[in-house]
Amino acid sequence: MAASAADIRSALSIPESSTPAAPQPKKSTAAARKPEGISRELYSLIGPSAPSLAAQLAKPRLKQKPKFGGAGAKVRWELRAFKNPARSDSLELRHWEKVTPDGPSEYPFSKYSVQPNTYTYSQDEYTRFLEDKEWTKEETDYLFSVVQDYDSRWYIIHDRYEYPNDPQRSLEDLRDRYYSVCRKLIRHRPWAGDDLAKAALVSSFQFDKEREVMRKKYITSLENRTPDQIAEEEALYVEVKRLEHNERKFKRDRESLLRILAGIDSGLPDIVEDDGVPLGITGDASNTKAKKKKGGQTTDLDSPATPSVASLPASKRPHSTKNAAYDSQHCITRTEVPSTSVATKAAHQPAYLRSFKLPTPKAAIAPKISQSLAELGVKHTRLVMPTRENVHRLEALMEATTSLVETKRVVDKVDYDIQVLKTRLGLREQSHSANGGEAKIEGGDSMDIDNSQVGDAENEEGEGGRGQSVVSVRSGRSRKHPRRSMSVSSVDTASTRAGTKRQKRG
Amino acid sequence: MVNYGGDEVSALVIDIGTSSLRAGYAGDDTPKAIIPTSYGFHPPQPDTDVVMSDNTAENPEQPAEKPKFSKIYIGQSGPSMWRAGMEIGNPLENGLIRDFNPIKPLIEHAINKVMLCNSAEHPILVTEPTWNTPANRERMAEIMFEDFNVPAFYIANTGVLNAFAAGKGSALVIDVGQSMASVTPVVDGFVLRKGLAYSPLPKLVYAQARHLITAPTQHRRGVELIPHQLIASKLPVDVGAMPKFTFREDRIAGTTESWRNWAEAREVDEWVQTVAGVLEQGWNDQQAAQRPARQYEFPTGYNAYYGSDRFVVGEQFFTHSPALIASNPNLPKSIPQLITEALRACDPELRQVIMGNVVLTGGGTLFSGLADRLSNELARTFPHAKIHAPGNPIERRYGGWLGGSILASLGTFHQLWISREEWQEHGKPIVGQRCK
Repeated sequence: MAASAADIRSALSIPESSTPAAPQPKKSTAAARKPEGISRELYSLIGPSAPSLAAQLAKPRLKQKPKFGGAGAKVRWELRAFKNPARSDSLELRHWEKVTPDGPSEYPFSKYSVQPNTYTYSQDEYTRFLEDKEWTKEETDYLFSVVQDYDSRWYIIHDRYEYPNDPQRSLEDLRDRYYSVCRKLIRHRPWAGDDLAKAALVSSFQFDKEREVMRKKYITSLENRTPDQIAEEEALYVEVKRLEHNERKFKRDRESLLRILAGIDSGLPDIVEDDGVPLGITGDASNTKAKKKKGGQTTDLDSPATPSVASLPASKRPHSTKNAAYDSQHCITRTEVPSTSVATKAAHQPAYLRSFKLPTPKAAIAPKISQSLAELGVKHTRLVMPTRENVHRLEALMEATTSLVETKRVVDKVDYDIQVLKTRLGLREQSHSANGGEAKIEGGDSMDIDNSQVGDAENEEGEGGRGQSVVSVRSGRSRKHPRRSMSVSSVDTASTRAGTKRQKRG
Repeated sequence: MVNYGGDEVSALVIDIGTSSLRAGYAGDDTPKAIIPTSYGFHPPQPDTDVVMSDNTAENPEQPAEKPKFSKIYIGQSGPSMWRAGMEIGNPLENGLIRDFNPIKPLIEHAINKVMLCNSAEHPILVTEPTWNTPANRERMAEIMFEDFNVPAFYIANTGVLNAFAAGKGSALVIDVGQSMASVTPVVDGFVLRKGLAYSPLPKLVYAQARHLITAPTQHRRGVELIPHQLIASKLPVDVGAMPKFTFREDRIAGTTESWRNWAEAREVDEWVQTVAGVLEQGWNDQQAAQRPARQYEFPTGYNAYYGSDRFVVGEQFFTHSPALIASNPNLPKSIPQLITEALRACDPELRQVIMGNVVLTGGGTLFSGLADRLSNELARTFPHAKIHAPGNPIERRYGGWLGGSILASLGTFHQLWISREEWQEHGKPIVGQRCK
């Protein structure tokens, strides 16, 4: 509503805006057009803000009657006699007609009476061009009259064709004769238009009798099939459809599988499927058939879209050598395709981001490696700039770290063994003197493990406390290879209680 | 108006069949006048030209013009009313008009008495069966122009009209009437005359039914077909018991043989329409025995159950038993035979087209189970056959009239009428030229 802005201003006691004159004239115009059915007093009270109310107050009216025939003028109909221009006589039938100011018009249906264009010939023309040893002029005349009578509906012409001593003309005979006569007439008569139109007209009268007869024979043979033959045909058709469907499905599956597994979008255009992988439900027959077809296609067409396997390396090799200079200039490096002979699915190497191929440490020693790398201030999980060189260097660093960690572990192990052996030696010397029972040694297997593990745990704790300088080798080892620790401390002495504990842990 | 191509010039359509004569306005969906084609008449008195008083009341100039009958009774109360000495005649034989004498009174009755209109004001379209003779159609034209003073006339083929009634230009029309069964291939609104096949098959079915009713079996006694007009009173009896009724002795003497025949035929027809049927899946003794028996009561009060043998009657439409073939050398062809014959004469290319447009029409096709049986039979040999069988009995019985009603109300048709002027100018040959 136009007034609302001013109302709000007054309500919020905002001073009038810079255009105080604007709402004023609007109000006056709104007041001027007071709707009907509402009193002036009421309107001055509620103002123009209740148009819906005003509409309701309008005078009630009955439902409007539909207006037939446009402007409401009465339509008059008249029973009139009319003449049909398509008739040659003066028959007058009567029908009801709408009275129009411009009087009765021509009968609207007469325009549908189209006289077909027919050819006639003179005696002279007949003797010159149209002689045919199988047809007399009389019979040709008769044929033309029948064709005109039945408007070139050949089935009916053939049905009604009754020439005395008729030598049993077939439908094709009749058509052939009629069209050939028409063609000859067009050819030999003077032609006003251009040759193209003439040729088109002649071709419209073209009729190949042999072909028609052959076609009819085919139709007849099609009709004369026995039910068995029809059933067999049906079965074959269904089979073919099934095979086609299977093949399509096989292709689709293969495509999607390749896309998933080998990344066909980015990689090689054609990859030979391993023969031992039949996909899905495809039957044997269809499989081999599809293969055969595929083989045939690949050998037949040498289209660039699907290059055959044999031609693939040949086409790739020169490309790489030629552009060596270009590559070096643009810092392009090419990975050597590890193709031994045939590019198989397994050997295929799609394009990848280098950062995805960063070397990862072995899971067993990963924490240790990351720890040691962290000491160096290197984060191996993410390279800021994973260039080729950087990646190589990271790889080298990783390898070095791994070997260092491994070596450290071995060293630790050996140290420990030495220690253990030394203590055992000491014990033995003691038992020699004390002459201890052998039974204790027997049950040792399960217990000493625990011992070692407890030691390990202690070690870990200790190492954790010691900080980052010492790589805790033993803990990782013990977690990963409990078997080894078992063998190491096979001759340790401990209590029987620890056996159950080990089982729980394992 | 122009949208559907209709332009009504208040033409009349007359379709004369063996059982009934249909007349009505073109553009209507049902004929206004349906009167039996059979008519009752009193043969002319041998002695005279004395015109009886009641004669003049109904047909004033009749005895003078037509010496064949002194009095004629037409319409719903024509043949079905018993009158002493009244003979029954039917102008049609094998679907063709054999006797033109009663044609004029029949048409007159339909147009003037039932429809109450003046034939001189309306163009008239008459139908004819496909096997009509040129002489017959010319005679019909003559009657129309000379006796009825029609302004325009046309005679159209029932096969074509039936196809039109079904909305098809090309069709295989299977028409089973009261006396004839015909199969007519229609292409582009023209009949293929060489493909026409027809036979008086319904008569055989009638004969079979009559035999079944009247011949005694071990379960049933033979039935004497006595029309109700000759029965004074009757008492209800048990199934299969002897009927208890009394004759109207006064009428026995005055009953003519032709009337008796007509009345008995009507009884048989009633029985056929009520009881007889045909098995949908072909003849099968077990199936026929499984179907429930139907009770039927004759006018005498005699009533009986008809079991499996009621299906034997309908079977005649499709197959004839070897015994029957052996005893009758020229049996009428069955419907499948007619279809095969019609198709054999057609171009192989056409067979597919018309078998996809099979039109089933005629009152005889309302025979219980016939449409289903036919579609089963056709499906066996022509897997793509499609049958158009109107469910509305009016459309089925008066398909020919309906097609004529459609044709005569088309704007484009009005140029085909044979006008009175043309008739006077060219005479009879114009009929053959115009109505192809």
